[in-house]
Amino acid sequence: MTLDLAFYPGCLVLQRMPEYELAARAVLRELGIELHLVQPAACCGAPVAESFTADWVYLAAYNLALVEQMGHDTVVTLCGSCTNALTRAGRALQDPAVRAEANRRLEPAGLSIAGHVTVKHLVRLLTEREEDLRARIVRPLAARVALTNPCQVFRPGEVMRFDDPTEPQSLRRLVELTGAQVVEYGGENECCGATLYLSNPRLSLAAGRRKLEATREADFLLHSCGNCHLLLRNFQNAFVRDQPGLRQRALLLPQLLGLALDLPAMELGLRKDPLK
Amino acid sequence: MKLKHPESCIRCGICVDVCPVEMVGGHAIVTFLADPEATDYSVWLCTSCWRCHESCPAGVDIYGLMMEERRRQPPPAGYRAAFESLLACSLALALDQDELDQLRATWELQPAQIASPDLIRSLLRRSHESAEE
Repeated sequence: MTLDLAFYPGCLVLQRMPEYELAARAVLRELGIELHLVQPAACCGAPVAESFTADWVYLAAYNLALVEQMGHDTVVTLCGSCTNALTRAGRALQDPAVRAEANRRLEPAGLSIAGHVTVKHLVRLLTEREEDLRARIVRPLAARVALTNPCQVFRPGEVMRFDDPTEPQSLRRLVELTGAQVVEYGGENECCGATLYLSNPRLSLAAGRRKLEATREADFLLHSCGNCHLLLRNFQNAFVRDQPGLRQRALLLPQLLGLALDLPAMELGLRKDPLK
Repeated sequence: MKLKHPESCIRCGICVDVCPVEMVGGHAIVTFLADPEATDYSVWLCTSCWRCHESCPAGVDIYGLMMEERRRQPPPAGYRAAFESLLACSLALALDQDELDQLRATWELQPAQIASPDLIRSLLRRSHESAEE
């Protein structure tokens, strides 16, 4: 039986990282989960709109209202930022006054919000299905990977309520299911610095360089947030121009899992199998 | 107006120690929390990693304080561009519906509809503006 879940890709995945959506869909389909796009979606609201107006919460409420209109009570996310913003907004909407104002603003669009949607990042969704996933691993991977825990999926702990907020283990467990070895580099819980790019590209690249320098022993960087992947993979030329030795391959969590499920590389948004 | 130092803050500096901005030589709001006399910091320098918030022994709402202050200060170019994009095409990066359709078709992903920018602007209008209508 197929489990149907609402899916909010967010700006980064929609606009810059279609391979993340493709790979996530492919892996979840193996687990009997079908993702249904939340649309017509808008930005989740944070940190951009939140930096300009306290009304950002109504933007997030709009996206959550679309999920409710689809008849779903769970929405799956791939980025830390969206996970965090939608979860915090969902919490703010528990206040009847905020919810009433949200409904007033949503009414012209024919939408309403009750505030019952649970936001689940891919790491959390897969963690809940760890045993099912384990049983389906048919190709143990011989690779050394350096992971970065997606900050905003776990913090603030009192709001996100998933795993340990400062030393989460769920991503590591998922990676280890594949047989891949997790390389310790001391920066697993250090932010990649991607969102800093909006205010200071130089500092953002400095943060990214720190990570690339610390993870040179790994075969792959492993990301489960669009922000990390954007800075450390898509922007990698900005680092390696001066230091070619920093070049590092990067995989998204569902790409690594998909390889362990022996799915074709093309279905995971990879031009070729990086382990062959 | 100078940012008011939160009364509950004990100036222990733990937030500075865990801040990724400080680790690369930048100065975020945590510099001000540890030293209320500091002026060489920016509320716009933040990676949204929430580590300061999580490790603050006094429970200061550092993120909330920072966001409130941002709304009173001129934004850096990157933030301004992202907000303008949001108001113009409903997403934080500049890519319109046609370009998105092409991108998704290339990857054989089903089309995704983006919200109308008019709707987004109406959701973000200030409370007092809607009350006056």
